[in-house]
Amino acid sequence: MFVLSVQTTGLVGLAVVENPHERLRILYSKILGVLQNIPKDAAYRKYTEQIINERFDLVKKETDVQKLQDKLNSGHIEEVIVQAENELSLARKMMQWKPWEPLVEEPPSDQWRWPI
Amino acid sequence: TVRPKNEVQQKQLCAFGEYVAEILPKYIQQVQVTCFNELELLIHPDGIIPVLTFLRDHTNAQFKSLADLTAVDVPSRQYRFEIVYNLLSLRFNSRIRVKTYTDELTPVDSAVSVHKAANWYEREVWDMFGVFFANHPDLRRILTDYGFEGHPFRKDFPLSGYVEV
Repeated sequence: MFVLSVQTTGLVGLAVVENPHERLRILYSKILGVLQNIPKDAAYRKYTEQIINERFDLVKKETDVQKLQDKLNSGHIEEVIVQAENELSLARKMMQWKPWEPLVEEPPSDQWRWPI
Repeated sequence: TVRPKNEVQQKQLCAFGEYVAEILPKYIQQVQVTCFNELELLIHPDGIIPVLTFLRDHTNAQFKSLADLTAVDVPSRQYRFEIVYNLLSLRFNSRIRVKTYTDELTPVDSAVSVHKAANWYEREVWDMFGVFFANHPDLRRILTDYGFEGHPFRKDFPLSGYVEV
């Protein structure tokens, strides 16, 4: 039986991760790798790289888990890991959808007029 | 009395609306913020799943909760039904509305793959309006009677129905 210093996250369904820095490092490098494949001028790539680099720098600098949680200001470290996994799957789907292209189709002129 | 204007929240919502419109120009046709500080994204129907997945998964926009999924019938328009998704972000305590359009015969992508909560809401929209959702796991009537014909919430459906009770 493992005896961790933090026994439980307090959240249902989220187990405590014993090496969050390593996991986050892997996830963030994977995300940055996926982002290299989308065009450089896409706004998604620009903003996501900014967010991920900020978080990556914080993870590299701060070794204490509690202080890292406070600095990231985004809930438990396990939640940050879940969010990074979501961002990775989103980046992979964005590569296929290519949302940076111009508008697919203009709506009819009266479509969004309110009142009718 | 009049509700006091919350300028800070208005500015934040405007900024976030511009942020999302810059990231997804392929699908977003219009962005508006109402005077009651409600952000609305007006989408092309092809972009439902990309936009909802983006809003759910992106770090700056963790709208994990689908609060509501309804439709509005405006018979005078070419695409008469307006599908409305209301999302809530628990991390950032903010709400957003995503609106799409369709007519009676064009199917719309189901949001069940993005939000499990959309299951019964889409069944209700199908039952009441007649909007077909493609890739829905189980699209059947949910509120009307078993042999009921017609879609009651449409504007051309009479108030006391076609069948005498």
